[in-house]
Order: sequence, then structure tokens, then C-alpha cells
Amino acid sequence: MRLLLVEDNARLAGLIREGLDGQGFAVDWSETVADTEHILKINNYDLLLLDLGLPDGEGLDLVRSVRRRRNTTPILILTARGGLDDRVLGLDAGADDYLVKPFQIPELAARCRALLRRPGASLGTELVCGNVVLTSADRQVSVAGLAIESTPREVDLLECLLRRAGNVVSKPALESALYSMDAEVTPNALEACISRLRKRLTAAGAGVQIRTVHGVGYALFAPVAVNG
Amino acid sequence: MDKAGNNKHGPAGPTLFRQIATRLAAFTLLFAVLNVGIVVFTYSRQPESLAQELLTLEATKAQNTTELAPDLLEGPPGAEHWLARYIDPSEQAEKATELRPGILIDWTRRERLAEGYRISGVRSVIKDGRQRWLFMQFEGDGLRPYGPVIADEIIQHVVLPLIPLSLLLLLFNIVSVRRVLAPLRRAEAEIDALDPDNILARLSEAREPREVNTLVRAFNRALTRLDETMVILRGFTANAAHELRTPLSIMQLSLDKLPPSPLRDDLQADTQHMTRLVGQMLDLAQADALAVEADALVDLGDIGRAVVAAMAPKTFEADRELRFEAVGDTKMLGHAEAIYRIYRNLIDNALSHAPGPTPIEVTAGPGPQLSVRDYGPGIAAEDMPYIFERFWRKDRRRSDGAGLGLGIVQRLAQANGGVITVENMPSGGALFRVIFGPPEPNF
Repeated sequence: MRLLLVEDNARLAGLIREGLDGQGFAVDWSETVADTEHILKINNYDLLLLDLGLPDGEGLDLVRSVRRRRNTTPILILTARGGLDDRVLGLDAGADDYLVKPFQIPELAARCRALLRRPGASLGTELVCGNVVLTSADRQVSVAGLAIESTPREVDLLECLLRRAGNVVSKPALESALYSMDAEVTPNALEACISRLRKRLTAAGAGVQIRTVHGVGYALFAPVAVNG
Repeated sequence: MDKAGNNKHGPAGPTLFRQIATRLAAFTLLFAVLNVGIVVFTYSRQPESLAQELLTLEATKAQNTTELAPDLLEGPPGAEHWLARYIDPSEQAEKATELRPGILIDWTRRERLAEGYRISGVRSVIKDGRQRWLFMQFEGDGLRPYGPVIADEIIQHVVLPLIPLSLLLLLFNIVSVRRVLAPLRRAEAEIDALDPDNILARLSEAREPREVNTLVRAFNRALTRLDETMVILRGFTANAAHELRTPLSIMQLSLDKLPPSPLRDDLQADTQHMTRLVGQMLDLAQADALAVEADALVDLGDIGRAVVAAMAPKTFEADRELRFEAVGDTKMLGHAEAIYRIYRNLIDNALSHAPGPTPIEVTAGPGPQLSVRDYGPGIAAEDMPYIFERFWRKDRRRSDGAGLGLGIVQRLAQANGGVITVENMPSGGALFRVIFGPPEPNF
């Protein structure tokens, strides 16, 4: 994974690079809008981490110019601006996510992974959470290195949860991933499927948990991994 | 009483109208007294005219009395000797009068006597449609006999002209003071309508009277200075919070690199507390700075779902469970991010006050309202008045919050035309409810 960090504070940039390095990312660093424009012409990155207030311009303008060039590289804004309208402005400009400083490295890494896991983004061949691994090519699930039996629908469900591991996935999102548009969805179909997947993972000794968020959806947690 | 504790109807002094009216009345009275003094003084210097007036007055009395003969009239007060008699000339003499005008005329004579004075004279009176001549003679002493004369003079020359004049002045006073003060009353109404949130409002400047104009302009200048201070203050809070975030990030990330120890954990907790405080100050500064435009169609249910989804991981970590329910139609006009933060702060509040493992129930609707209910100890009755105050915390020794969360909720709720209420549930726990109405026009 190759990331470009655009941040004008050298000390903070150093700490972020070091932290993300420890999480398995390779991070390049640029300090100004001009440098960034130049670097983006030469190299391809999987993800852009962007500070908004840069010495020679606005980060948001950079986002717009990147998007104008039809560059779809995911952009995660890292900023000290946490105002009411800042997030919406950032996302409207074409950024994919918005993280307000200060943040912790595990949180940043999780956001990066979530962006990279998006369909169409680079990460997607192997989804990992705790000791659970799903290889998307052959739809095979393994727990602690041992392959387990599961129905295609359960694999689809697990993939959805793994792609957003640590985050809540809404019921409608899960339902639309599991069932095609015309299929009849019984009210309890999703619950039943979740329940089967839970049992299967627990039986295999998986270190992950599928938690129910009543009224919203489900989330897959690796209880220890989040805090590193 | 308003928020600042100012009584709108304070112990008011007299109105300007009353002040002017009292002064006018006092002045009129003084003028009258002066006038009386002048009348008395003038006549006392001219006993001849007084004597004339005295007889004329008596003659008028005689003329207006129908049944009594002039002899029986009482005469002036203090009279030692009084005589009044018609001296009708004979027909002949009357004829002669026509021939020799001047025999019978109004005359007065004043003589000094040993013990006073004597006044004699003749006046022509019209009695039963006929002209008659009345001879009067009076002896007396001092000023007392002149009393009625002087009183008559005072009525004629002081009271009669001054009363209508005073009434006219009073009327003029009412009308003109009212009209002149109208701009002042308008300014008063405008000042009352001033809102700390609507900082651009100024009083409209009446061109006249100049005193009101200068006062209004001075007040507007004061408002401008106040605004500048407010802008600086809000700007400072926002900038300070903003600028603090980068060093805080560096601190936090550097701490993570230290080898694990209780000291590191404490420092990390302190940094997180600081981070939260900075975030809340920025939120509050922003909410105060009128950046909220609550005019988009938002769905409380969707926002609630998003908040709960975002906060669920943190809640699970804290061994708490977050539940969400949307009831009925939950669409309304508002500011999505502001409502997001209302939910988030209320859930944060529930997380820090209700013990684990208890559920936190978040509800959107029915209609434009949302609520967050916890199963903690609820809110003590004595704390109720303070919980929305900024920087208030029940236990100041606890360092996990700055007491800004509910203040932010209240401010953001207001910005969306909402009010926040809190109640302790009979089955335990506190229920915070925000009910939205039409947004306030100032926001």
C-alpha cells in the first residue's frame, strides 16, 4: 500500500509516517500544494492523506483539482478544522473521508483500510480481521489458518462486515448485498443469517464478534486489535 | 426579568412629561404670585384708583341686586359709616341735564379724616332698564375695606388670563412631549428587541430631535464596539481551539511511542481530556458564531442511525449497548451536522453518567423530536437548574469533562429552533428530549 501524506507540520508528519509504517503502510510525504501537484503527476498512490491548511494554498482546492483530472484515488482529509460545515465541505469537494485532529494511529489506520477496502479500491484480495481471513478470489473463509465451511450467502455477509470491520454496517446495506433487487426478503432472513454466521465463527474459535446495534445494523469487531 | 437579571419595569422615576408639567405648574404659580404682588403694590400706591374701584364695585352690586334698596346693602367690609342712595334728578332737572351735560357724572372723592378716610361719589346704574344715579359715601380705615376690590382685581387681571394660558401650556406640553419623545420610545422598543445573536442589528436613527439622534448614534457606536469585542472573543476561542489541535496531535502520537507505564496511561488520558475540551470549545464558539443555517430538509432518523453507527464501537468498548429506534415521520428543516452533534453530545453525556453495562436508547420521532435515555442514576433535583450551564460539573474533581456538552446541545438545539428538556424516568435513568419547532429567524 502506498500512501501520500500532505502535511506542513514536519514533526506531525514524521509521527504519522512512523505510525502508519508500523501498521504496514508505505507513506510518502509532501509539504505544499505545488509539490503535491507535481508528485501526483509522476506517481500513483493508493490513498491520499491531506491536511487542509497548507502554506501555499487550500487543501480543498487540491482535492478539487485532483478530482477534475478524473483521478479517483481515495482522499482522506486530516484537519484541525472540526467546524459544523467543514466535514460537508470536505466531502462535497470530493474527499472520501474526514478525520479531525488529533487522532490516534489505530483509528487513522482503520480509516485508511476502510477506504482501501472499498470495492474498486486496491485492497480486496484478502480481507483480514483478527484471526479471520476471507480471500475474495475463491470465496474461502479461514479461522486461525483453518478453512471453514460456510454457505455463499454467509460468505457474502462476512465480506460486507469485514470490509467495514470495526464499523457498523446498516441493515439495508447488508440486505442489498445479500439479496438481489427482486428477491423476496423476509423480515428475519438477515437475522437468521447473522445468527448462523455467528455460531459458525464461534465454533471455529474466531477472535471476532458480530455485535448487534439495535435499530441500525451489525458490526464486526476484533476486540483486541482496535486498540493495538 | 431577562437573562441578565435586569428588570424591564424597574423603579421608574417621573416621566419627562410629568417633570415638564410640574415645572410649568410651579412656574405658573410663581408668575401668578408675582402678578398678585404687582397688582397689590400698584393699587396701594394709588389710593385714588382703589377708591374709584371700590365705589364702582359697590354700584355693580347695587345694580345686580333686585329686591333690596341700596341703603340696605352691606357695603364694603370694615365700614365705619356707609351710605348709599339714589339721587334721581327731577324730570325738569333731567331735561336740564340734557341741556347742561356734566351736572351728573360719575365722580369719586377721597378725603383724609382724622381716624381714616372718607370716600364719596356717584355712579350711574341701570335699574329696571332705566338709568339712575347712586350716591355713596363710605368711611373706613386701613386696607380691609379694599379687600373685595383687590380680590376682584386679582381675578380680573391674574386668574382669568393665567388659567386658560396654563391649560393651553399643559395641553401643548402633552402633545409636544409625546411627539418629541416618540423617537425615544421607538429606540427603546428597538433596544428591547436586540438579541445577542443578531449582532448586526442597529437602532434606526431618527433625524430629530438631535438629542435622541446623538443618543441613538452613541448607542449604535457602543453596539459596534461590543460587536468587535464579540467577534474578537469568538474568533479567539475558535482560533485557539483550532491552533491547539496540531500540537495536541503531536503530543498524543508522541505519547503512544513511550514504553507502556502507568504514567503514560495517565498522560494519554490527560491528552484525551484536553482534546475533548478543545473540541467542545470549538463547537461552542462555532455554535455561538451563528454559523448554523437550519434550512435543509433532514431526516432525524437517518442522522440518528449514522450517529449510533459511528458511536457504537466506542460504546461497546465502554461495555455499554446503544439502541436506536425511529418512530413515524422524522423529516424536518434543520442543519444535519448540528443535529448530528446534538445526538453525539447527548450520547456522550449518557456514556459518562450511566454505569456499564446498561443500554442507552436513542430515539428519533415521532415528528420533529429526538431523545436519548440512559439507565443511570438520573439527575438529582438540586442539580437540575445547572446541568445546561456552561462549565458546570457536578463533581469538579472529576477530570473527564469540561461541562460543555449539554451547553452545546442546548445552543445547537436553539439554532435548529428546538428546546431541550430532561426528566428522570420512573423506572430509573434520565431522558433528554429535544423538540424542534420552526427555526428562529435570526439563525
